[in-house]
Amino acid sequence: MPASSSASALSDPAWMRRLLIATALAFLALFLLLPLVAVFAEALRRGVGAYWTALVDEDALEAIKLTLIVAAIAVPANLVFGVAASWCVAKFDFYGKNLLITLIDLPFSVSPVISGLIYVLLFGLNGAIGPFLKAQGIQIIFAVPGLVLATIFVTFPFVARELIPLMQEQGTEEEEAALVLGAGGWQTFWRVTLPNIKWGLLYGVLLCNARAMGEFGAVSVVSGHIRGYTNTMPLHVEILYNEYNFVAAFAVASVLAMLALVTLVAKSALEWRFGAELAATRHK
Amino acid sequence: MAIQVSGITKQFGSYRALDSVDLEVRSGELLALLGPSGSGKTTLLRIMAGLESPDAGSLQLNGEEALGLKPRDRQVGFVFQHYALFRHMTVFDNVAFGLKVRPRAQRLPNAEIKRRVSELLELVQLGHFADRYPAQLSGGQRQRVALARALAIEPKVLLLDEPFGALDAKVRKELRRWLRKLHDEIHITSVFVTHDQEEALELADRVVVMSQGRIEQIGSPAEVYDHPSSAFVYEFLGQVNRFDCMVEGGLAHIGNGALAIPTDGDVRGAAIAYVRPHDLGVTPAVGGPGRVSGIHVVGPDARVEIELGGLFLEAEMDRERFTSLGMALGDSCSVHIDRARVFAR
Repeated sequence: MPASSSASALSDPAWMRRLLIATALAFLALFLLLPLVAVFAEALRRGVGAYWTALVDEDALEAIKLTLIVAAIAVPANLVFGVAASWCVAKFDFYGKNLLITLIDLPFSVSPVISGLIYVLLFGLNGAIGPFLKAQGIQIIFAVPGLVLATIFVTFPFVARELIPLMQEQGTEEEEAALVLGAGGWQTFWRVTLPNIKWGLLYGVLLCNARAMGEFGAVSVVSGHIRGYTNTMPLHVEILYNEYNFVAAFAVASVLAMLALVTLVAKSALEWRFGAELAATRHK
Repeated sequence: MAIQVSGITKQFGSYRALDSVDLEVRSGELLALLGPSGSGKTTLLRIMAGLESPDAGSLQLNGEEALGLKPRDRQVGFVFQHYALFRHMTVFDNVAFGLKVRPRAQRLPNAEIKRRVSELLELVQLGHFADRYPAQLSGGQRQRVALARALAIEPKVLLLDEPFGALDAKVRKELRRWLRKLHDEIHITSVFVTHDQEEALELADRVVVMSQGRIEQIGSPAEVYDHPSSAFVYEFLGQVNRFDCMVEGGLAHIGNGALAIPTDGDVRGAAIAYVRPHDLGVTPAVGGPGRVSGIHVVGPDARVEIELGGLFLEAEMDRERFTSLGMALGDSCSVHIDRARVFAR
């Protein structure tokens, strides 16, 4: 009797639990599941044939290719930067550390459109260094380099933000132990630090990748929307939609959605497969 | 290998962690750095290992200047307070780490590494745990893995930072005895840091008592316990009665003249007197100056609290003696002290 009474004292009544669960599920269905279903439903409205035609359209393929290229450059760049920055912040004390942390967060607090605009002001034809670059035959704005730069800026914090708390929690003792045992700096990094952060790193990279492929605002400003040249998938979706080409717009959108789903499934699968190890690296 | 520390000073911001410390660690001895937290003992240990660099001073390992050397070139084994085991590696890989990261030319063949690691795991009685991960071990087992890992690189010096600090009392005692035995077998020069005076006195060949970045006293456990060189050492090592007194003509007057105790040394005037509870004799005496104000009997010992002229003194005796005295709370008693240690105020 005491056991059951204490159990019920610690939990809400059954109707309350059901209400909370139902609310959460309804919310998820309304705001996440329904739009997802709608994307695919709209894309397939005219049948699989029309869907496929929209996807193999030359401009659509170019957009997919460009998105993959941009992500393939931006994500590794931010991976290296994120690891380096969190290594600095978590393992060393130096003057200006707080400033660095604030700077890392900047892309989260600035509207992507503004960050795109800054690149235009810097590298555009009337910008600060645009004319100089133009003279060298380098074009940044309305070209692939601009897209990459804008994407790197916007996805800057994902890896670092994921790693800094993890590395701070893990402290520096293991690295010190490795150094005393005779390991050099690189050996310590590859054999001790990296294995300890690999799950956090992977998670950060997945998030970074999802955002890099889906980024709209900043990319839109620097792109110029040149079909087949500077249109990434999100931009292509917008153009098609504005042209009332709904099937094609939703078809490309569905590819983006699938990329997101694959990312999520990959993350869950990894967590499920390596859950125990993941927990072990988080707690001493 | 002998260690010579001379004039080591270390400042953290405005805080002086070490203030011109001189210390000689003799080859093959087991030395304890004992002190309260903030006394600089861990900083000194980390400087010896090369994990911290001092602002001034010199450090010699076997007669050679070592401050310019990286940790890896000092041939020291370091055992961290919280073990610092590599959490993603098995016990075996943890112990093998130091052997595997050697430059290719000096690296042992894999079979030899395997043999050496197995040997070490046997030495620390963890032969069956080679495939476990640190998270699957108890605190005492982790500590022994940490020790095996430090010994794997065949260090000339073993440095241990609060090696038993994170363990419960029973395991701590076992491991302490075990470490002493291990040291007697392999005779490696060892320095360990502790804030536990009992641990230092029981385990070490010599004890270095530290306070506020300075060394207060160096000596064998018996020397520092029986002949503390300063008030700090007296207070830090074991239970103590401490009272203000006036010293005149070789006698310390305490409790407004309620008691006069012979002293040694040449302290005069206002001073502080120290008496260990077991050096304080109590006998029941009707009309005596003292009054029994507290009795705690736990296990084989009895602690009696006595009020004397506004002071509270603590006496310690074995239980049988206490029973034979037949004292009760509130009884009058007399107090006699053979000798007090007096330090100028």
